[in-house]
Amino acid sequence: MKSKFYFLIIFVFAFGATLQAQSDYEKTQNFKTRYQQLEAAIKNATSLDECNTISESIAKLKSDFLSDKGLLDNSLYPDNFESSFSKIERAVEIRKGDFTQITELTTEVGTLKDKISTISQENQGLISQIRTLQIRSAKDAQTIASLQKLVAQLKANIQQRDELVRGIVDSLLAQFVQMPNGLNEVEKQNIYTKVDAGNLFFNVERTIADNIQFMKVTQLTPDDLGEMKKQYKDFNKVWRQIGPKLAEVYLNRKDKTAQIANIDAMFADWNFRVNDEMWGQVNKLFREKKIALLQFKSGDQFVNSVSSFVGDEMKNLGVKSTSETENIYYAFTDSVYFKVVEPVWIPILIENNMMTDANKDSIDSYIAKWKEKVAPGTSLNWVYIGGGAVIVFLVIGFFLKGKKKPVTRFDEKKDDVL
Amino acid sequence: MRLKHGIALLLLVVTAFACSTLTLKPAEYAWPIENALKVDAKGNIIEQRYSFTLNVKPLFFEEFKDSTNYIGKEIRIIRDKAGYYFITSKNFKNVYVFKSIESGMELENKILISELKGLTAPAFNQKAPNVELLDNPNKYLLNYKGLMR
Repeated sequence: MKSKFYFLIIFVFAFGATLQAQSDYEKTQNFKTRYQQLEAAIKNATSLDECNTISESIAKLKSDFLSDKGLLDNSLYPDNFESSFSKIERAVEIRKGDFTQITELTTEVGTLKDKISTISQENQGLISQIRTLQIRSAKDAQTIASLQKLVAQLKANIQQRDELVRGIVDSLLAQFVQMPNGLNEVEKQNIYTKVDAGNLFFNVERTIADNIQFMKVTQLTPDDLGEMKKQYKDFNKVWRQIGPKLAEVYLNRKDKTAQIANIDAMFADWNFRVNDEMWGQVNKLFREKKIALLQFKSGDQFVNSVSSFVGDEMKNLGVKSTSETENIYYAFTDSVYFKVVEPVWIPILIENNMMTDANKDSIDSYIAKWKEKVAPGTSLNWVYIGGGAVIVFLVIGFFLKGKKKPVTRFDEKKDDVL
Repeated sequence: MRLKHGIALLLLVVTAFACSTLTLKPAEYAWPIENALKVDAKGNIIEQRYSFTLNVKPLFFEEFKDSTNYIGKEIRIIRDKAGYYFITSKNFKNVYVFKSIESGMELENKILISELKGLTAPAFNQKAPNVELLDNPNKYLLNYKGLMR
């Protein structure tokens, strides 16, 4: 028992002596090392919980070195004990703020994701209902009304979902704009969180796919297509800004890089299909009137088709009967081009850079040349001028005749006096 | 005769006062902690906080009679309250006390710590007005005049 006691005394003294023998420099270095480790931990923290653990470690470091406060006050130049802890405590609070913000964003994006999923599921249901109704051979008034209602609902759903996905993309874009000189690891982490939480890539793909699907299952009006084209342009513009930046952030993730490339391709496909549908509808207008224009899918091709068709028609002037030629001319101009194509489609096509004003002028000039041959304005004008002249002559004659009557009466009165 | 002595004494006192150097006192030079500095290829140590560079090649020659084996060695240096620099290093048997002179340091004292073997892990602590030298498990108390304890 005694020996144990002596051993304890010796141990305490030896340990105390070791503690006393510690160099001030080593103490300071030890403090600095632990401080730097905490600084690094703050920088590399990946969650709020981790930050909370770091806060506890900071408190422990402070209590461990409180007895050396005087030494550290002098040796941590230009800082001192308190200012060093103020700094690191502030840093951890700021980092906590980042995670709080990330958590809020994750929640927000998570809510958006839920909304998007619900709408996407609804859309699938609507699309299959529309298909079922379209397959029915006999479409009564009730079926048509149901179809119209479903299409309207689908359109509204797609628009709403597009806006939600755009919201996520816009918020990411805003983040990139705020960091024009590239992103650090923390900011990249923020982007990963947002992209993953919003299932962004999948939702962008789905948005495009649903828009294409919507075009397939519904008969779109020129206004609908113009609106869709605008939607494509807006979304594509934002994606072109954010896509390369996301590709940079996900440089080391092959799966994500492939997904970004796929989205680029899907945007191109969406654009192609909208253009195809628009030109297809314009082509169809001519085909419905049995006007055999060569198929066209661009402004230049449209001009060439019209030029070729009008050229052929003018060559065949003597071959076909006059009535047949005139019927074709009036069907082309009055029933299709001037009735629908020029007032409805051409403004939409020009607005979306699918044809130019020069294209329109060329078509107008071909039609004007064709008109001169088929329905020359000159002879017609002479008929009108001649007819007009006869009418004017008759009116003048009528008035002149009317004015002669009172003179006769005056003569009669004179005779009476005489 | 007395008057002449009195005037001469007065002149002497006045002259002595006129010629005395301006002195600022008290001054406190003590560093709170020592510094451990690596010797570079040119034999220099560079102190960042107090901003000075010192060539220590002669010190290694003095200690080991070899002025080539210094690169990467760690010098422990501290300044006491009076302004003397205490310098030593691993395997040194002495602590060197220097005072500052124009563009250099001049040896004030060379304190022998161990005749038989050099210091194994020397470190200085400020114990104003003295300086403590640790070389576990030994502790020494020094001042510029020599070993106190």
